[in-house]
Amino acid sequence: MTVKRMAFMKQLLEFSGIDPERLILKWVSSAEGPRFARVVTEFIEKIRALGPSPLQNSRLSAGSADESAKAQVNQ
Amino acid sequence: MIEEVRAHVKTLMEEGKIDAFVGLKDQDGNVFPYVFTRTEEVADGFSIGDLDGPGQARYPLARILMTVVSGNPEKKVGVLLRGCDERALNELIRWNQMQFADRIVRVGIACPAELAGAHECRKPFPEEFVAGQKAEPVENATVRDVIGKGLAERLTYWKAEFDRCIKCYGCRDVCPVCFCNVCTLEENALIRTGDLPPENPMFHLTRAVHMAGRCIDCNLCTEVCPAEIPLRTLYKRVAEIVRDEFGYVTGEPGEGKSPLNLLGNDPGHTSANE
Repeated sequence: MTVKRMAFMKQLLEFSGIDPERLILKWVSSAEGPRFARVVTEFIEKIRALGPSPLQNSRLSAGSADESAKAQVNQ
Repeated sequence: MIEEVRAHVKTLMEEGKIDAFVGLKDQDGNVFPYVFTRTEEVADGFSIGDLDGPGQARYPLARILMTVVSGNPEKKVGVLLRGCDERALNELIRWNQMQFADRIVRVGIACPAELAGAHECRKPFPEEFVAGQKAEPVENATVRDVIGKGLAERLTYWKAEFDRCIKCYGCRDVCPVCFCNVCTLEENALIRTGDLPPENPMFHLTRAVHMAGRCIDCNLCTEVCPAEIPLRTLYKRVAEIVRDEFGYVTGEPGEGKSPLNLLGNDPGHTSANE
């Protein structure tokens, strides 16, 4: 289900004017610590290269860390 | 056109084929959804929503039908269906939202070319209809316009459109396929209460995601929007993505389930890792 949603989301982001490269999905098992670190590091590098989010006024980028975390948990 | 529909409904009632008819009533020029239960009612104030022009008053009749049918388990119910209403009914059946679909009697009407053009309708007629003529489907132009822009330009465009939102929930409330009992758009952790405009573009993109594999392109949301946000353009693209990605076309008759209503791999998406 998530994979299907991702395939859809990437194209919706593209149509909305948000770079779909800012969204990734990877499966990482709890036994794959080094892989988890690599996946996250790679993604951070990619985001850094893409620069700050164009959604500057959005809560998810400007809001408090507490609220962002809460929103993510509920997703 | 209205007389043919009225006569048909009257006959269905007299022959005992339906106990009630979900349609539209015109009272002093105000048109609203109405459940007709007697032939005398059909004779007075019966409407198909045509006012100054055809189809000016439209309502999510399929969703209203859903409530009427489930609340009256013994009754046979007729319903007034334009092409869009029929797609909504088919989609609700596919999402298991329509109990007792066999008790529904469809009374279709075909829309004139003028109405089809105004809504860029992909199928301005139901499978079977008792009045009207088949008009040609109309291609959508607006989606192509937006795709023609660059990435940054598209974001500027949508942000400006969404900025006018007054968060009236009209788009959701009028939607014939919005049937959830709990709505994400009212979840405070995601969409904060008291913000105007609602968080841009999260509010509208959230709704767009929920329209995937559901939106049947009736254009009611755009019609009711007091801020004139081109929601039609957004959801039409959503429908295109679902069609191209999963081969699923909303609103078709039959048993096929929406890809986002099915757990499992089909159709063809198995893993996020290369």
